[in-house]
Amino acid sequence: MSSIDPGLVPLAVRTARAPRRAWTRIFSSPTAVVGLSLIVFWVVLAVLAPLLPLPSPTAQDAMAMADPTPSAAHWLGTDILGRDILSRLIFGARTVLVVAPLSVAVAMVAGIVLGMLAGYFGGWIETIVDRFSDLVLAFPVLILYVILIANVGASVVNIVIATTIASAPGIGRIVRGLVLDLKQQEYVAAARLRAESTLYIIVCELLPNCRGPLLVDACLRIGYTIITIGVLGFLGLGLPPPNPDWGGMVRETTTVINVWPLMSIAPSVAIVSLVLGFNLLADGMREAWKP
Amino acid sequence: MNAVIDAGLRDNRNVPPSNSQALLEIRDLRIEYRGRYESVVAVPNVSLTIAPGESYGLVGESGCGKTTTAMAVMGYLGSTGRVTAGSIRFEGEEIVGASAEKLRTIRGRRVAMVYQEPMSALNPVKTIGAQLAEVPMRHLGASKAEAREMCANMLDNVRLPDPVAMLKRFPHQLSGGQQQRIVIAMALLARPALLLLDEPTTGLDVTVEAAILDLIADLRKQYGTSLLYISHNLGLIASACDRVGIMYSGEMIEEADTQTLFRQPRHPYSQGLLDCIPGIGSPKGARALSPIPGHLPSPAERSQGCWFGPRCAHFKQDTCGVDAVKLAVAGREDHLVRCVRWQDLTRESVALNSDVAVTTERRTALSVNDVSKQYLLNGGRRIVQANESVSFEVARGEIMALVGESGCGKSTLARMLVGLEEATSGSVQYAGVELAHVPARKRVRDMLKSIQMVFQNPDSTLNPSHAVATPIRRALRKFGGYKDKAAIEQRLQELLQLVRLPAELAQRRPSQLSGGQKQRIAIARAFATNPSLIVADEPVSALDVSVQAAVITLLLAIQKEQQNTLLFISHDLALVRHIADRIVVMYLGRIMEKGLAEEIFAPPYHPYTEALLSAVHSPDASVKQQERIRLSGETPSPINVPPGCRFASRCHRKIGDVCDTVAPPVRHASATHEIACHISLDELRTMRAVFQQGTLGGNLA
Repeated sequence: MSSIDPGLVPLAVRTARAPRRAWTRIFSSPTAVVGLSLIVFWVVLAVLAPLLPLPSPTAQDAMAMADPTPSAAHWLGTDILGRDILSRLIFGARTVLVVAPLSVAVAMVAGIVLGMLAGYFGGWIETIVDRFSDLVLAFPVLILYVILIANVGASVVNIVIATTIASAPGIGRIVRGLVLDLKQQEYVAAARLRAESTLYIIVCELLPNCRGPLLVDACLRIGYTIITIGVLGFLGLGLPPPNPDWGGMVRETTTVINVWPLMSIAPSVAIVSLVLGFNLLADGMREAWKP
Repeated sequence: MNAVIDAGLRDNRNVPPSNSQALLEIRDLRIEYRGRYESVVAVPNVSLTIAPGESYGLVGESGCGKTTTAMAVMGYLGSTGRVTAGSIRFEGEEIVGASAEKLRTIRGRRVAMVYQEPMSALNPVKTIGAQLAEVPMRHLGASKAEAREMCANMLDNVRLPDPVAMLKRFPHQLSGGQQQRIVIAMALLARPALLLLDEPTTGLDVTVEAAILDLIADLRKQYGTSLLYISHNLGLIASACDRVGIMYSGEMIEEADTQTLFRQPRHPYSQGLLDCIPGIGSPKGARALSPIPGHLPSPAERSQGCWFGPRCAHFKQDTCGVDAVKLAVAGREDHLVRCVRWQDLTRESVALNSDVAVTTERRTALSVNDVSKQYLLNGGRRIVQANESVSFEVARGEIMALVGESGCGKSTLARMLVGLEEATSGSVQYAGVELAHVPARKRVRDMLKSIQMVFQNPDSTLNPSHAVATPIRRALRKFGGYKDKAAIEQRLQELLQLVRLPAELAQRRPSQLSGGQKQRIAIARAFATNPSLIVADEPVSALDVSVQAAVITLLLAIQKEQQNTLLFISHDLALVRHIADRIVVMYLGRIMEKGLAEEIFAPPYHPYTEALLSAVHSPDASVKQQERIRLSGETPSPINVPPGCRFASRCHRKIGDVCDTVAPPVRHASATHEIACHISLDELRTMRAVFQQGTLGGNLA
């Protein structure tokens, strides 16, 4: 009884190649690599912004105002107030890359809590969470943002709050769906039979198995949030001037779009490239983690 | 290289290279799957021939390439699969590399396939009639009216009641057994010459399986269709096929006619497969199961020389471990075996388990009294009666088996015992403590600790995010009183040794373990708390037979050593006969019969028990089965069950209206044997035994 079955030993240890770690598997997906490169490109620029030989994003160059087209001093030209577009793009990336992931992170926490409560406990808790979610999800998101921001003013904190209210129900729905299936798994029953607390079961048994779909969803949501921040900026509800803000940059230049289209195109392309980066990364993760 | 050797071998046997007699001739078939990163040779080399009207059984454990071979015959290997060598000739015409147009004229028309999952083979948004009618309209050029008529006739042939009404139904309105009949009807509509059956009854209950098998046999007689029958169930193959091929890791390792193969298996793997199936004809302790060690190698793990070598007890490095082994003729012309040492091997008689159960004083450990469990649906308008008035007792150190088909309430009962569900009424007493209405979270530690459970599904029993040892460590910390790390680790190692797993497995993730290894971990987890009662809910039903035997043997050995009480839930009667002291037979939430194991397997039977036993297919040629009893229909829904006997709607011995309206009395055949039936005991005693085995007649009496 105490000895290991002799015939079993060499075979029990499966020699088949161990599954590679989830993170390294992402690099085998070209889609994910392209997406990740786009994101890394912007992150590096944003981090290094103060060190780069760029004019200040708020400094006005009176000389350039006469001819805001690209020149040696201003690679992408300037806006109508003579501020360097390249500098404003790069410094604008700093805002976006902080606010968007932060908003999604907070929304994720709220959504996970809601979804876990509804999915694990069911009953009246689920009913309340569901009705609340229905209410928020049925509300046109943009109007929700406008109402919230217009009333409490534009700031990073308020954008985070608005995103959380708008995104948490959707995330909650995903988590609830996953948990409804996961809580039926036999390992959850086994955990109950060894007197694990409900908190342990939720945090240690259920949550880790939600991470794949949630990471994919988070990536997509960061992309959407970047668009939302752009739209808010475009509507004049973004961060107050003179902070560089991609959406605001488009807004300020729409009046001259027929004369100097680059002023609007440059920030639009910036938004597109970053959103695309997150979407491609999400697609790549989904592909790489496909069961 | 193998291909050349095999081809040469066949020439030696003077078999003409193209056998005009054969309906299907597969020669030296090699199938590869090309992934993004690597290619896998799923089937390195397979040859087989099916004559017109013949039924050929292809047997092997999951992953041995049997389904892949069948798919190649259908010309469908998906986007990644490719036939890279060899040929498949059907009615003399080559299928490998044939044009899509050509394949279309063969598929469905001349070759048809019945898949394992009937639900996924039927289109959920089309009526049965519309789906069936496509076949004659597409393949036979029939008009719509003609097609309708042919379909109705065919449904009658597959013995579905009221065919005309059936044509208007949708797949989800039918039961699993009815769906499979529809799929078979669809396959036969074009009168194919060859029918491929890929595990056609695997998801079905035994009584339904038996009826489907009879149907297939009858239809074969009627239409003269050849069958390629794929299954992992040896008993089923033994009763349904003329010739059998056994596959191992993508190769045919033995092929012979059914009689020869089951009476005189030559390959150690074939012998092993037969030895690890519990025999329905022999009582507990009559013979030990002898599991095959190890597991089926994946294509990347195939060893040098004989691929079965690492698991073979007769392995000799110099003869078996060098060259690839060829198929050789063993004795008779048509008996092929891929083993160099077959002549040196005699089939060892399986060691008799001489241990006689120690008869100590019976002390009741668990007593279940009049337990019922109801679920209310739609706010109470519909009641699911999962269990009703269930009573039984289990003594300490005893193995009690709960037997029944799906939906009989055996799992619900198990979950109530461990505290995952609460009983609606009744009492469950363990060690003098009332548990029926105490869920796990309200149970005291000692009680949780002493009742543990082994679950059914190896893929869901361990958390994929944790190392496999994590739950064992948690259990030790919670219940074992182990505080410091070193003590926990030491106990963990002991437990891994107990289930015979190497220590280094502890840190792996479940995805890196095989099904059998996962179930061993699950057993170690259950035993970590030193429980006195183990509830095992179908712990081996998801495993391959060779692994099943190993896990069962292990579970029994631990149980015997530690003298735990074991409540074993199963639908496999042969397995239950092999292990249980006492048996409870359940149907639709109620106990039909209970008694000592030997009492259950001999008359008087409850009619349901009789039918269950009769549905068992035994590969053991020495077991004689009496005339088969076939139940009509399937287990009805447990929603709003009528009064009277639950089994009345399917009973072949129903005596009249009394069965439908009055609950049957419990008749005591002996102090330990109870049967709930309206038929009198005297009459039940006149039943003939379902199984008869010369040597065991005395034991059974």
